[in-house]
Amino acid sequence: MGAVTLTGVRKLFGTMEVIKGIDLAIADRELVVFVGPSGCGKSTLLRMIAGLEDVDYGAIEIAGRDVTELAPALRGVAMVFQNYALYPHMTAYDNMAYGLRRAGLAGAEVDKRVRATAAMLQITELLPRRPKAMSGGQRQRVAIGRAIVRNPEVFMFDEPLSNLDAALRVEMRSQIARLHRELQATMIFVTHDQVEAMTLADRIVVLNGGRIEQVGTPREVYHRPANIFVAGFIGSPAMNLLPANLHRGAALELGWGTRVTWTAAVPALPDNAPVTLGVRPERVSLCDAARAQASGEVTLAEHLGDETILHLKVSDGVSLTVKAGGDVAALVGDRLHVAFDLAGACLFGPDGRRIAPD
Amino acid sequence: MTAVPAIERRRPAPGKLWQSLLYHAVMLTFAAIFLLPFYWMTISALKFNAEIFANPVSWWPDPVRWENLAQLFMRDDFPFLRQFMNSVFYAGSVAIAVVLSCSLAAYAFGCLRWRGRNLVFALTICALLMPTIVTFLPVYLAWSRLGLVGSYWPLIFPFLLGDAFFIFMLRQFFLGVPRELMDAARLDGASEFRIWWQIVLPQVRTALVIVGLFAIVYTWNEFFGPLIYLQNREDMPLSLGLFTFQSQRATEWSISMAGSFFTAMPMVLLFLLTQRLFQQGLTTSGLK
Ligand SMILES: Nc1ncnc2c1ncn2[C@@H]1O[C@H](COP(=O)(O)OP(=O)(O)OP(=O)(O)O)[C@@H](O)[C@H]1O
Ligand SMILES: [Mg+2]
Repeated sequence: MGAVTLTGVRKLFGTMEVIKGIDLAIADRELVVFVGPSGCGKSTLLRMIAGLEDVDYGAIEIAGRDVTELAPALRGVAMVFQNYALYPHMTAYDNMAYGLRRAGLAGAEVDKRVRATAAMLQITELLPRRPKAMSGGQRQRVAIGRAIVRNPEVFMFDEPLSNLDAALRVEMRSQIARLHRELQATMIFVTHDQVEAMTLADRIVVLNGGRIEQVGTPREVYHRPANIFVAGFIGSPAMNLLPANLHRGAALELGWGTRVTWTAAVPALPDNAPVTLGVRPERVSLCDAARAQASGEVTLAEHLGDETILHLKVSDGVSLTVKAGGDVAALVGDRLHVAFDLAGACLFGPDGRRIAPD
Repeated sequence: MTAVPAIERRRPAPGKLWQSLLYHAVMLTFAAIFLLPFYWMTISALKFNAEIFANPVSWWPDPVRWENLAQLFMRDDFPFLRQFMNSVFYAGSVAIAVVLSCSLAAYAFGCLRWRGRNLVFALTICALLMPTIVTFLPVYLAWSRLGLVGSYWPLIFPFLLGDAFFIFMLRQFFLGVPRELMDAARLDGASEFRIWWQIVLPQVRTALVIVGLFAIVYTWNEFFGPLIYLQNREDMPLSLGLFTFQSQRATEWSISMAGSFFTAMPMVLLFLLTQRLFQQGLTTSGLK
């Protein structure tokens, strides 16, 4: 049905290559989330799949059909835009009916489908209203309705929730998850929001500078980041990436001189090889001076209620983020000692790729 | 509803009152200065020819000669009504032609991406720098060869091909239409022509009306084109007809003034009726 396959897809704006060769297979009924820093090409890639941008090299297949040269409306895709992009001069009803009418459906059939979709999204009372007379959340629902009513094989969302307030965002997030279950359709979702990505995705695609850094389930990209970029990008607060040297005999010498034991298997590397140790902030714990593996001065203390995020300056150019309990009363300027729990830690080789755990 | 009485809160401070009085006095003086010629035209239309040049100046016609107006519509050496309708036709056609052709061009320049777009747009803008008088002769010869001199074709048809100034102006408005609207319509299966007509034009309605009004005012006062291409008195628009009448019947001032009054009136009314829209067009972008 709605599988999407990209092969060697590239895009140039003028001489600037924005998408630099993407190979990606999205399974039917999968919900895939694109994440990546601003300007990495998420929107461009999405628009290429939708047919709104030309593909310069490579091919795109949807449902087993090569759609690289096909007009957007013929691809069986629908898109929800960040700013909703509802037609301002039409009522919600006409917004939803527009695509159906273009497809040549009869009036009665259009009416039936619009009303059924509106009922499903609980927006029936919005149908006679224009976008101007709706709140952001209501516009969002109508925009989703406009996408659903056409019954596409692939849904695309380009940061659809970023204009909503926090509470509404949580609600819409669960609604999109529910829609995904009920519609049994393929969905591609672009977001900046870590929580959205982790909670919604079957698989996350991490993009950077027009390339794919990693494709994997939320657990995979979180616990087994393919490289330093993914490690630093996924998770908030970000993973601690500490310079270290790996000695034979499984001794890891951290940048500031401390030695720790690395027990997991690592591929053969030259002695004293420069590596990077990745430790999540929740795997760093406060301890007393005797057991300390690192010590530093607090440069920033964020008291979030249930937890406290502490930023420590360990040595020149090395800082550590620690996720501690909400009862920790540390203040800026305090000197704290920490120890690492290396059970869930990652080790990255000189080229930035993860070498352990494999 | 608050309990504070509105009157009490709105009473201006004494200093403010003087300021406001002064402001209005100045504005009224200027308004009077600008209205004076219009007033003079109006009363002259209702005077005897002799009274117009009377000394001392007579500020109110005595007697009021309504017959002048009746004459205006009955003289056979000045087909006023016919020329008035010519002007309406001329201005209306140009306005429609300009709005259609320039909004199509502005859509292509502002909303579509194609190779060479910026170059073509730059060339279009260069057309603004070219005085009409330069291209005038070859254009006249072409129309003459086509045997269309003496008709309205040479005056209206060029506007169906767009006008650089209005294209430029409309493009600015079209650039303000969110790209996602057109993308959404493309995904909905609308053709480019339909997107232009059903999605984009409704967003820039105010701009279209403004361009239409500009075109009407411009055409209503246009003199040179009709002078060159039209010879028959029955074919002339008012701008030219009035001039022709004045140059032939130099002494009949009250009739000319009556003609001028009815020539100026439609534009005054048009402005009064659309004033609010002009302001709206300037304050809101017509979006959101
Ligand atoms: N029409 C265009 N012409 C030229 N360059 C463009 C165009 N559209 C996008 N780009 C460039 O392509 C790159 C990728 O843009 P894109 O919008 O896909 O990023 P993004 O990942 O969606 O970013 P964000 O998270 O901020 O939305 C950017 O560097 C952008 O400047
Ligand atoms: Mg984007």
